[in-house]
Order: sequence, then structure tokens, then C-alpha cells
Amino acid sequence: MEANVRKMTALYMFVSGIAILLMMVLGLLMLLAQGKMIPLGQDTFYEMMTAHGTFMVGAAAFAASAVMWYFLRQYVRLSFPIFVTHFVLFLTGAVMTAISIFVFRFAGAWTFLYPLPAMSAGMWGKTGASLYLIGMLLIGVSFLLLYLDTSRAIIREYGSLGHGLGWPQILGKVKGYGPPPTVVASTMVSIVNLVSLTVGASVLVMSLINLFQPSIEMDPLLAKNLIYAFGHIFANSVIYMGVIVVYEILPKYTNRPWKSYKIFLIAWNMSTLFTIIVYPHHLLMDFVMPKWMLIIGQVFSYLNGLPVLVVTAFGALMIVYRSGIEWDMASSFIFLSMFGWVAGVIPAIADATIVINHVMHNTKWVPGHFHMYMGVGAVSMLFGFMYYFIRGNERKIGYADMVSFWVYTVFFLSLCGTFLLSGKVSAPRRWAVHFPEWVPYDRMGAVFAVVIIAAVTVFLYRFFVSVIIVQAKQNIEVGPRA
Amino acid sequence: MSGKRYAVGGAFFMAILVLPPVLRWMESSMIGVMLGQIPVLVVAGWLFGFALPRRFIEWLNCWNENGLPGLLLAISVLTFWLLPRSVDASLNEPLLRLAKWMMLPLLVGMPLSLSWKRLHPIARGIVHTNAISMLVVMGWLYLSVPVRVCNSYLLSQQNALGRMMIALAIVLAAFWSLRLFVATTPNEPTTR
Ligand code: HEM
Repeated sequence: MEANVRKMTALYMFVSGIAILLMMVLGLLMLLAQGKMIPLGQDTFYEMMTAHGTFMVGAAAFAASAVMWYFLRQYVRLSFPIFVTHFVLFLTGAVMTAISIFVFRFAGAWTFLYPLPAMSAGMWGKTGASLYLIGMLLIGVSFLLLYLDTSRAIIREYGSLGHGLGWPQILGKVKGYGPPPTVVASTMVSIVNLVSLTVGASVLVMSLINLFQPSIEMDPLLAKNLIYAFGHIFANSVIYMGVIVVYEILPKYTNRPWKSYKIFLIAWNMSTLFTIIVYPHHLLMDFVMPKWMLIIGQVFSYLNGLPVLVVTAFGALMIVYRSGIEWDMASSFIFLSMFGWVAGVIPAIADATIVINHVMHNTKWVPGHFHMYMGVGAVSMLFGFMYYFIRGNERKIGYADMVSFWVYTVFFLSLCGTFLLSGKVSAPRRWAVHFPEWVPYDRMGAVFAVVIIAAVTVFLYRFFVSVIIVQAKQNIEVGPRA
Repeated sequence: MSGKRYAVGGAFFMAILVLPPVLRWMESSMIGVMLGQIPVLVVAGWLFGFALPRRFIEWLNCWNENGLPGLLLAISVLTFWLLPRSVDASLNEPLLRLAKWMMLPLLVGMPLSLSWKRLHPIARGIVHTNAISMLVVMGWLYLSVPVRVCNSYLLSQQNALGRMMIALAIVLAAFWSLRLFVATTPNEPTTR
């Protein structure tokens, strides 16, 4: 069984890793096109943008869910068949969306904002749009199954989701520490994603009905609310799953425990609620939205990431301080991810401020912040996990890896810098064709992207040879429940 | 509670439904039929399920592995009676009315009560989440379809039903989520 779990987890990481690498290549092509270095048709640009958004978020969430599953099973009894089903269903959905984009030329962006899928102005037909929406629905169902299982297992072990979030400890009914940080984080993610996926299923089915029966219309503002409630929560949850790596790996490296003390628990509880209610910050430009919702969007965006971020970053610093930690690839990535998270949140918070948003929204400032948060934050957690996973059977991790690590760090931050600067000079996001004033930033970005892609290839190559080709010597995570 | 009492309870619900004033009142509005009559008929069947003799339930269980066949049967039959065409027919044609009054308790409520506890918790979770999201979709459909879907009811009734369904989805979502936060003893399937 242990061997199967390891094999399956490795498969998850490998598939996601390859997807992320391929999508980085598409990102590079988009930058080359915006920088007028290659002639890419506008329709092709938008197909690539759709694929890049869908599969980057999808693959990162997919890998992060495997990380969560891998560690959570030390504490609760999870179902392996569900883990496999999640894999199969996700891939089926992903193949459908890929076909919709690359064969049927769907290019309505990963946000599939109503009524775009049904109104393509001749760029794609009903088949493309419906394949995309059904593929997304399948991906949603695959995640739903996983979170239903994690919730079930947590309730079975701890009594309720409230207990999983440490309510008895917060209320002082039970003395001592709360459930292990991995359980707390998994409870939070299960809750917010059950909400997001239920909402997502509704709006996807509505969009499908509208596609085939255009006379049945949706209120566009309602659709936008539902889509962003789904998309924001889901994309946000990636980092909350990824952070489990930090809670699991740092204690092992430093030989110091990471406990769920009261402030830690309160922070996770706050983020659970705030993650669900902050999505209106995507609608700050929609003047018809009720004002109170926009104010919630702004105020809670300030509060949303911060509690967990602060307790995690502070906790990480404390646990590492004078611990004599060994700085290998895994621990370096973990530290980088904390930095990416902290740094990525700063431009995000700026943009969530209504007055700033009116200037910056829909500029490349926005991709600037989320690439930092996702690329340097979340994706580093995943690479960190991969290196941790092959610890012990790594084939000659050496200079190439460490150099690639630094290259990745410096050049990904620089890439984000070019996005932010493009935003500063008012380059809009999602424009296939750029004015000459914006082109230098695109070209710089393209150069950085080439280097990033080379570094990621090294990481994936190392993972591949260490885990797939060499039948790995077992180095198994055995917890009290495993 | 003994099986007999459950049977009496189920019969009581059905008897109330067929009282002429109640029947007229319920069938005079779309909300009454869709969110009153149909659910109560299902609940009556659910209660009948508890009244079945033990040996018969055990025999049925051989055909109801993990509760999935029962669930599928219930959902299929329920879907049929939710179709606007069937709603109209059950109001206008005595034979179909009889069929509805037999099928909803016996082929929806009863299989549900026999299967629910046998379902894996994940399957129950899927039923819950799907019920919420599809209630919202149905509510939205009744609000935005520009034509009358039932001959028997006006557009205004249809819209009112749509609003009720969305409200019901919100209430159910709140209720089911709250239950997850209240400490319970573990709830695994009975016989697997
Ligand atoms: C080499 C690395 C990468 C490059 C070169 C790159 C490039 C790009 C470009 C050029 C865009 C379009 C920006 C515009 O609106 O004009 C974009 C959008 C996007 N990228 Fe990346 N990206 C990279 C890595 C990532 C990673 C790691 C993630 C997430 C895990 C990610 C997620 C996204 C998302 C969600 C969008 C938005 C798509 C949309 O607007 O619909 N990217 N990226």
C-alpha cells in the first residue's frame, strides 16, 4: 500500500510538473507575441491564454491536493480509491478542456465569464464551449470527491470540522494544542473548496444551458459573482494546501515541533471565513454592485491572507532560527515560497484598495502580483515537496540544482517585475497586441521566461530520474495512522 | 418507535394531503405542488420504509449494494415527476395522478429510506452538494425561462417557485454546513 501511495503521489507531481512546464512555454510564446518577436495570430494568443490560465491553476491545485493528501493521511484515514478517482477524473476533464481549446479553438479565458462562451463572434462554436464547460465540471467533481473524503475523514477522527479547526482549544474548553497544523489547514481548505465547487457547479451548468438555449439568460452580474466566488476561492486554496509542506518539512529538518497554538488556530479560522467572503474585490469596477459588498471586498482582502501568512512566516522564522537547519533544495524552496507569498501579497493588497483598483485593475499589475504569489509562492512549495519526496534516493543533486534554484528565484522575481512595470506604464492585461511603449517589458519578460523554463526542466528531470526511472528505495512517511 | 407507528405516520401524511381543501390549496400553486406535495409524498414513503418487515429489508439489501441502486431508482423516478410535462399530466389525468401518488412514496421515499444509511458518507456528501447546486440551477431556470413551462400555472407562479427554490438551497446549504461543525459521533455505513 505504501508503495502504491508513493507511486500515485509521484505520478500526480510528475503530471502536474510537466503541465506547468508546458504552460510556461505557452507563457513565453504569449510574451514573444506581445513583444512583437513572433507573429502569433490573435486567436491563437487567446487560446494560449485560456490554456495557460486553466492548466496553471488546475495543475497547481492538482499537485497541491496531492501534497495535502500525502501528509493528511498520517493523521486521518483517507480513501486511496478516491485519490485514484480524483486523478482519473481530473485528467479526463483536463483532456476535454485541452481538446476544446486546441481542436475546437475555445478561447474564452479560464474565467469563462458569461456570456462569452456563448458569444464568440464566430471564433469558436458550441462544441468547443460545451467541451470546455463540461471538462471544467469534471475537474470540479474530481476535487469535490477529494474534499468530501478529507472532510469525512477529519470528522471521523476529530468529531467535527469545528474540532478540526481547533474550536475547543480556542474556546478554552480543551487545554493544550489543537490538531496538527496539517489537519487544521486541510480542514480549512476542505470547507472553502466545498463552498467554491458547489457554487462553481451551479454556474457551469447555467452557462451550459444558456449555450444551447440562448433565450434562457443569466443576470450577468450574478454570473460574475458566482464565477469569481468559485474561481477566487479555488485559486486561493492552492497556497493553503501548499503551505502544509512548510508545516511538515520544517519540523523534520529542524527537529523542532510545529504546534497549533491558539493564535495559530485563530488565524486559520479567520482565513477560512475571509477566503470565502473576499471575492468581491474582483468586482470593484462593477459600480452596480452593492456598496457594502465592495467594502467587504476591500476590508477583508486586507485581513484575508494576513493572519495565516503572519503566523506561518513568523513560525517558519522561529523554527529555523539557530536550529542548524541543513539548507538543501527542499528547505531552500520552502523558504523561497514563504518569501514569494509575503512579497506577492503586497501588490495584491494595493490592488484590493478601491481607489487604487480604479487605476490598476485590468492592467498587467494584476498578473504581476499573482505570478509572484503563485510562481514564487505556491509553485515553489510544490518543487520543495518534490525534492523532499526524493530525499535519500536523489541521483546526484548537485550544483546544477542549486544553480537552477537561484536562477529560478532571481528570474521569476524579475519576470514578475516586468509584469508590474508593464502595469505601471498602463499596459492592460489580456491584450494580444501591445503598443510600442509596452514592448520592452514584454521582451525582457520573454528572456527571463526562457531561463525560468530551463531551470524548471532541471527540477523535473531530477524528479523524474530519482523517482520514476530508478525504482526508488522506500523512504516512507509512516505516521500513527498510515 | 415500532414499525407500525412509522406506517401510521406515513399514512397520516398522505391522508392529510388528500383532504380536499388541502389538495386544492396545494395544487392551486406551483410552489404547493413542487415544494409541498412532492416532498411530503416522499417523506411518507420514507416512513413506510421503516415499517417494512426485517426479513424483507434483508432480502432487498441483497439487491441494494451500498445503497446505490436504491438511490439511483429514487433519483430517476423523482426526476420524472419533476418534469413540467408530468406535473401537468398528474393534475389533469386521473391515472397519472394515481401513478404519481403511488410512485413518489413507493419508488422514491421508500428506496431512499432503505438506502440512505447504507450509502457511503462520500455518496451522501455528493447528494447534498448536488442538491444544493442543482436547486439553484432549477430556481434560476424557473426565474429566467421566458415562457410558461406548465400549462396549469402562470409565469408569476413559476417565478415565485424559482425564488423559493433558491431560498431553499441557501437554507439547506446553511443547515448541512452547520451540521458538519457540530461534534458528532462518527457516522460510517452500517453494513458494507
Ligand atoms: C515562465 C513562467 C510564466 C510565464 C512566462 C507566464 C506568462 C504569462 C502571460 C504572458 C500571461 C498573460 C498576461 C496578460 O494578461 O497579458 C499570463 C497569464 C496568466 N498566468 Fe502566467 N506565466 C508564467 C507562469 C505562471 C504560473 C507559474 C502560474 C500559476 C501557477 C501562472 C498563471 C497565470 C494565470 C492564472 C494567468 C491569467 C490568464 C488570464 O488572464 O486569463 N503563470 N502568464
